[in-house]
Amino acid sequence: MVDNTDKKKENRTQSARNVRPLVESMYLRAHQARERGQKVAYCMVMSQYDEILAAMDIVPVWTENYGGLCAAMGTAQPFLEKAEAEGYSNLICGYARTGIGFDALRAEMGEAPQTPDGGMPMPDMLLGSSIGCDTRFKWYQALGCYMDVPIYCIDVIVPPVNRDLYEIKDFYVKYQAEQLRGLVKFLEKTTGCQLDPDRLMSIIHRAEEARHWWWEAQQLCRAIPAPMSARDHFNIFVPHHFMIGEEATLDFYKELYQELKDRVDSGIGVVDNERYRLLFAGGLPPWHSMGIFSYFGSLGAVFPAQLAYPPPDPFTIPDNINDPIELIALRSFERFTYRWEQAHRGCGDFWVQHILDLVPEFNIDGLVMHGVMSCRATSMGQIYYQNAVQKYAKLRTLFIGSDIVDIRTYSEAQTKIQIDNFLETVETRKSNKASN
Amino acid sequence: MTISSRGLEHTWELCQDRMGYARVMASQGKKVIGYFCCYTPVELMTALDLVPYRIGGRIDEPIKEADAYLETCVCSYVRSAFDLAIRGEYDFLHGLVVPHTCDAMWRILNIWKLHKPLDYTYFIEVPHMVGPSSCHFLQQELKLFKKSLEQLVGRKVTDEALGEAIDTHNRARALLQKIYQYRKADPPLISGTEIARVLIAGRGIPVEEFNELLLQVIHDIRTRESEPRGKKPRVLIYGGEVDDPAIIELIEECGAAVVMDDLCTGSRSFWELVKPQENAMESLAAHYVDDIRCPRTCRPGKPEERFLYLVDFARDFNVQGIILYLYRFCDGHALEAPGLKAYLNREGFPVLHLEEEYTLLTKGQLRTRFQAFIETLG
Repeated sequence: MVDNTDKKKENRTQSARNVRPLVESMYLRAHQARERGQKVAYCMVMSQYDEILAAMDIVPVWTENYGGLCAAMGTAQPFLEKAEAEGYSNLICGYARTGIGFDALRAEMGEAPQTPDGGMPMPDMLLGSSIGCDTRFKWYQALGCYMDVPIYCIDVIVPPVNRDLYEIKDFYVKYQAEQLRGLVKFLEKTTGCQLDPDRLMSIIHRAEEARHWWWEAQQLCRAIPAPMSARDHFNIFVPHHFMIGEEATLDFYKELYQELKDRVDSGIGVVDNERYRLLFAGGLPPWHSMGIFSYFGSLGAVFPAQLAYPPPDPFTIPDNINDPIELIALRSFERFTYRWEQAHRGCGDFWVQHILDLVPEFNIDGLVMHGVMSCRATSMGQIYYQNAVQKYAKLRTLFIGSDIVDIRTYSEAQTKIQIDNFLETVETRKSNKASN
Repeated sequence: MTISSRGLEHTWELCQDRMGYARVMASQGKKVIGYFCCYTPVELMTALDLVPYRIGGRIDEPIKEADAYLETCVCSYVRSAFDLAIRGEYDFLHGLVVPHTCDAMWRILNIWKLHKPLDYTYFIEVPHMVGPSSCHFLQQELKLFKKSLEQLVGRKVTDEALGEAIDTHNRARALLQKIYQYRKADPPLISGTEIARVLIAGRGIPVEEFNELLLQVIHDIRTRESEPRGKKPRVLIYGGEVDDPAIIELIEECGAAVVMDDLCTGSRSFWELVKPQENAMESLAAHYVDDIRCPRTCRPGKPEERFLYLVDFARDFNVQGIILYLYRFCDGHALEAPGLKAYLNREGFPVLHLEEEYTLLTKGQLRTRFQAFIETLG
């Protein structure tokens, strides 16, 4: 892992510090659930089924998170090597290689390998989806070689920008609802329990309230100086992505909001000498070397926003929908298309539109993108984003390259040189702008 | 354009300069529409007298300009194809259709549009799951695609025209299947290299002309004097977009007979016919959801269930060894390969698993790998 000597220069939030104990408790609860016979499912983030699982008392284990956790703890290497020894390419998703390696070792040893937080408990089912990337269902198909548990995957569809939303909305929402209903049927059969729609509706409401507070907390980061560091941004999404629907998650985001508000009101920033405001605009974080963000901080560069794990866009629950599955399907469509109409009228791409929206809102001076060698989904298009953004906003972009998990692809020294050079160009642009 | 006699010879001419043929068609006023992947419903284009042109790369040239616009963590087939576009080689295209098949396909259209604007572009959302709801969804998608094509040409597709287009494409599928049967003989009556030329020749000409060509190829196979060819190890090649015969030719130069394939450019795109349903759009949707066995579609079951068809292919065509020829950065294939290889081994088939760039510039290394594997099949 990268050395973290720059960490002390950043003023981190207590909320972000509270995340690690939450993660420990998440894995502990999953192990305890497994021991007492409660159903445990391997899951993929953003699959739109989080609240359904909570309503059916199925304990999720977020396998991508485990990859990130192993990377951050510096314990991923044996799993990566095992997956590669099993014949998996070193170019496939770092999370997937970690997870496949972990489960291949468990199958070989007959017990979970010694890893952070006791490892992932053996699941009763694997729930894949097509949201974001193909790996999210191919990974679980591959795991079928190492465990004999049922696999169920659903489509989660993102409408293309170039469409008339009114023309497609009905059948996109209908298809999403059908996919979710198929999943519910599978879960009911596997668990022997029926989904309680009222309970699900109540969990959805709680989850939306948590999302609201996260969104509001994020808006506070428009303040100068920025009240929250990049490393904190990449921590505080955790309760939402992995523990949504819980009271503790709602409390977490309320507390985060209050903490950031207090900071903004008092003018407390991440660093003492905030000079550059950057947007993490492409790729996923290098979990193996998160200290690199503190290096940015040590040079006066902060990240008021990031697009790897941003809070979901606002959504108001309509009064006239009583079926929670239909509500989730509609919400999925509305969230995915939140910026579509504007993108359709202008730049033509929802990701570029998101960047263009955030640049003025958060006073962004430059973009940072992490090209992840093992992730097509978040890396393909980064050059395009830069080129498309330049049509509307003249911003410098830094491309750094490594992996989400595999540190073998990373050079800390080289990355620091890139950062130094990049910030010099941002400085020049800012100076020129100020003198004009 | 009329296809003359000497079918096999003509497939080689077409194969070598299919862009040239397409340019001629474009200059004669035909609207040539580029498309990626075997999930694009070409029948809808044919029904409107558009010429579907399957986008390819150029395996014998390095990528020259695309890397300035496209990340290198993307499969080099897509990068090579885009490189040709950037260099103006695809300027004869009137439009481009991209189905959402893999992660690279999902993103390439906007990148292409930014740097090489086209008069017409369309993105089709193709479900990753199979089942009735997926078919129904795709049917709605295809209706909108049809509407978009109708706007492009300024007239409606009649049910009759669509039915005819489906029949014509089914005819091509059936003729290709018939030609594949000649590979079952030992030695095969048509080589893998010749088959590859036939397939690639058909990727950029109107399907009616392709059908004429296929009939001529069948005639050629039946009537040509058999060459004294010895028996060789029989192999099946599995992989993605192998759109240059040179790869198959290299395997055959190394001493094997390539007698069957499961490639995006081969049997995967035509082994199943579009089956009649209540209406044509329903037929097309069912076909494109269910019938194409690309790893981008999620099918339930373990490798034993999902790849049984491949073992059936191998047994039907009396295959002795299987080559998994996969492109680097193709996640769908890469995540299937170890489980597939283990399954094929359990079924008694030796397997060579290669993960390569889309290039022939490393031909020497490839030759060594192929030779070593083929020697073991003895």
